[in-house]
Amino acid sequence: MDAAPAVALLGITKRFPGLVANDSIDLDVRAGEIHALLGENGAGKSTLMNILTGIYQPDGGEIRLGGAPVRFASAADAIAAGIGMVHQHFKLIRAFTVAENIHLGWGETPLAVSAAAMEARTRALAAEFGLDVRAEARVEDLSAGEQQRVEILRVLARGARVLILDEPTAVLTPGESTRLLENLRAYAGAGRAVIFISHKLDEVLAVADRITVLRAGKRVATLATAECDKARLARLMVGRDLAPAGGRSPGGAPGEVVLALEGVSAQDDRGVAALRDVSLHVRAGEILAIAGVAGNGQRELTEVVTGLRQVSAGSVRLGGQAMAGQGPAAFLAAGVGHIPEDRLRTALAPSLGVAQNAVLRGYFRPPCARGFRFSPAGAMALARRIVGEAQVFVPNLRAPVRNLSGGNQQRLVARREMAVATRLLVAAYPTRGLDIGAIETLLRFIGEARDRGVGVLMVSEELDEVLRIADRVAVLFKGRVMGVFPAAEADGERLGLLMGGQAEAA
Amino acid sequence: MRLRRVASVGVWGIIVSRVASVVVALGIGGVAFALCGYDVGRLAGDVVSASFGNLFGIEDLGLLWSPLMLTGLAAAVALRIGLWNIGGEGQFYAGAIAATLVGLHVQAPLWVALGLMAVAGFAGGALWIAVPAVARAFWAVDEIITTLLLNFVAALLVGYLCTGPMRDPHQAVTAASAHIPYEIPPLLDDLHWGFAVSVALVGVVALLLGRSVWGYEVRVAGSNGRAAFYAGMPVRVRLMQVFLLSGGLAGVAGMLEVAGTVHRLQGGISNNFGYLGIMVAALAGASPLGVLPASLLLAVLLNAGIVLQSYGVSSYAVLALTGLVLFCAAVGERLAYLRMRPAA
Repeated sequence: MDAAPAVALLGITKRFPGLVANDSIDLDVRAGEIHALLGENGAGKSTLMNILTGIYQPDGGEIRLGGAPVRFASAADAIAAGIGMVHQHFKLIRAFTVAENIHLGWGETPLAVSAAAMEARTRALAAEFGLDVRAEARVEDLSAGEQQRVEILRVLARGARVLILDEPTAVLTPGESTRLLENLRAYAGAGRAVIFISHKLDEVLAVADRITVLRAGKRVATLATAECDKARLARLMVGRDLAPAGGRSPGGAPGEVVLALEGVSAQDDRGVAALRDVSLHVRAGEILAIAGVAGNGQRELTEVVTGLRQVSAGSVRLGGQAMAGQGPAAFLAAGVGHIPEDRLRTALAPSLGVAQNAVLRGYFRPPCARGFRFSPAGAMALARRIVGEAQVFVPNLRAPVRNLSGGNQQRLVARREMAVATRLLVAAYPTRGLDIGAIETLLRFIGEARDRGVGVLMVSEELDEVLRIADRVAVLFKGRVMGVFPAAEADGERLGLLMGGQAEAA
Repeated sequence: MRLRRVASVGVWGIIVSRVASVVVALGIGGVAFALCGYDVGRLAGDVVSASFGNLFGIEDLGLLWSPLMLTGLAAAVALRIGLWNIGGEGQFYAGAIAATLVGLHVQAPLWVALGLMAVAGFAGGALWIAVPAVARAFWAVDEIITTLLLNFVAALLVGYLCTGPMRDPHQAVTAASAHIPYEIPPLLDDLHWGFAVSVALVGVVALLLGRSVWGYEVRVAGSNGRAAFYAGMPVRVRLMQVFLLSGGLAGVAGMLEVAGTVHRLQGGISNNFGYLGIMVAALAGASPLGVLPASLLLAVLLNAGIVLQSYGVSSYAVLALTGLVLFCAAVGERLAYLRMRPAA
């Protein structure tokens, strides 16, 4: 029998109105172990971790640290007990320096302290934990990877014996991810317990010692990593076998150029250059994937080719037609569908019903409208068709669309946009935040559009996905195209280097 | 029993919560009156009989209901695209000024003159909101502040006109314009055709919002302006149009008051209808059809105020009561999402 585990959750139950988020979940994490927590969206991972970090109180069950029962009345209690969490969305003050963020809200910060003293303390901490951070830099100037190191340092400085990371690699380049995983190994080696939340199976298999899979609020299995492979984990997560989806286009040369960008430059919302001299084209019946770490011009690129943003230089042509000065309506009329990266903020009217949202791109034509007259009945009929094809299951099409789950919203937007994309489909991070089942559906939708002869411009940071369904890959870094090549010739390492800004030697 | 939140509430849920809120608010008000030593039963009986007891009462009620309906509709239509038009009061005045100018200076057959006055009233109200509209649509200037401030400008302008250039030279004492020679004919004895026009406008706006492509665009833009832009809608144009429609409706309310009830321009003619319209729209949940019962409720409360004053109750009591109704409605709106369920 081992010593008592560093953390033990026994029969944790948490109910929310209308659902049981955690149903009697057991989890034990040993000191020195990296324990992966795996599950689809809504499986209960976040709820469980919110209970462990004192944010929620469980309705039933017990938390034990080193064998002793504990009860956290607040997040502060959990931190004091040595539990630290690095959230997916960083909780740093962007206008503060790294040293200021490390010392913010920390009991050990001296009452009066100079910036130089804080920076010195921060450097000492960074050296102690082997984390490379610049103490004097402002957080807003840091890359995502650097910000994450600050978050980790902040948690470790507060004496965390249990380190929880929620989807830590989602924002990192492949290189940064590798480095993070090495660091995690080192922390576990020093006797800490690490809980690693992810839905990337490769990563989990590479780094974890044991894996616990949650599904629909219940623990399905806890396994040693050696006993696992991807297929088995996926089956446990989803509860059924997955049909392999996507696949490259079945031969057949792509058709004529549907989208052509010549020397396009554009600015972001703050007026900073976001795209620099970008030249790209997409042919009918092919998928061009844009790979890159988020924030390197992808958003501006998708906006420029859908009419949401005007170019500051260069030209955008759709099927040979120059689109200078045109807005979203003209791009829609030209047969461009757009699945934007932030569907609820950009592509849906949250307080309106599912049906009203389903017709957002066709409300002005029959069957929704006859001239100036809008027909709710006609709109409802069209909406039923789109919702059915999107495999969105809602009891009431009049219920506000914000009540749908993220996966359902995404499928709804995707199906709606595919219906209008007769020439070009622009899909930004179409699978982000989705669980495995929904990802397969989405990729199948995109494959169907390509098979119908639509050109697809897909932005993604999931290299697996890109390499699996794209015909060609372009890498964006700081607004420039670093290279375009057939997906068959691309591999993760080469893409990773380009995504990190390393130009290829010609 | 435990409480459980539901994700959405249908139209009936909202209606039930509104009615319950009003009952609770009136109940609290009744308790307060009882504590002050009034006979609440008699008070309530008098209010009801004064409002509904005879035809005169009903017609008087209609004269309050009609302007509240229009100012409420003005605020509601703006809310549908996410704008707070706090300036109904000013637009009411502007519509009244424009209609009076036309009424005093245009010579035409009655119906033509009234038609011109109505157009002038709409234009006056629309003009009064035009600056806030442009400022909001092009420079994102907060319309709450600009529309509110223009209320004071309009009130002072009416005061100036009635004591200065438009003052009736034949009347020595009151600050008012000359009598307008065109009167809206009666629908009943006292109640004029303006009431029917108000109800018709509610119907027209309800159809426009619910059954036109334009209305769909307004509703989407009100829910998420960015999504409306993404979908290819002319968001800025819709914003401007809704502003002008909202101001115009409040202006028509001013015109009807001048041409139907007061027959001249004078200070205080708006009778707070503009501000009360915001309350009407809030109670109606920005639904045009909801404006009908909501404005009726406020009309009854205003009427009650007149009765209460005859008992020596301060006129502020009614303001407090309307505030209480709005407060209870806001609480009720949240409570509508809660359902009882048996303890687990």
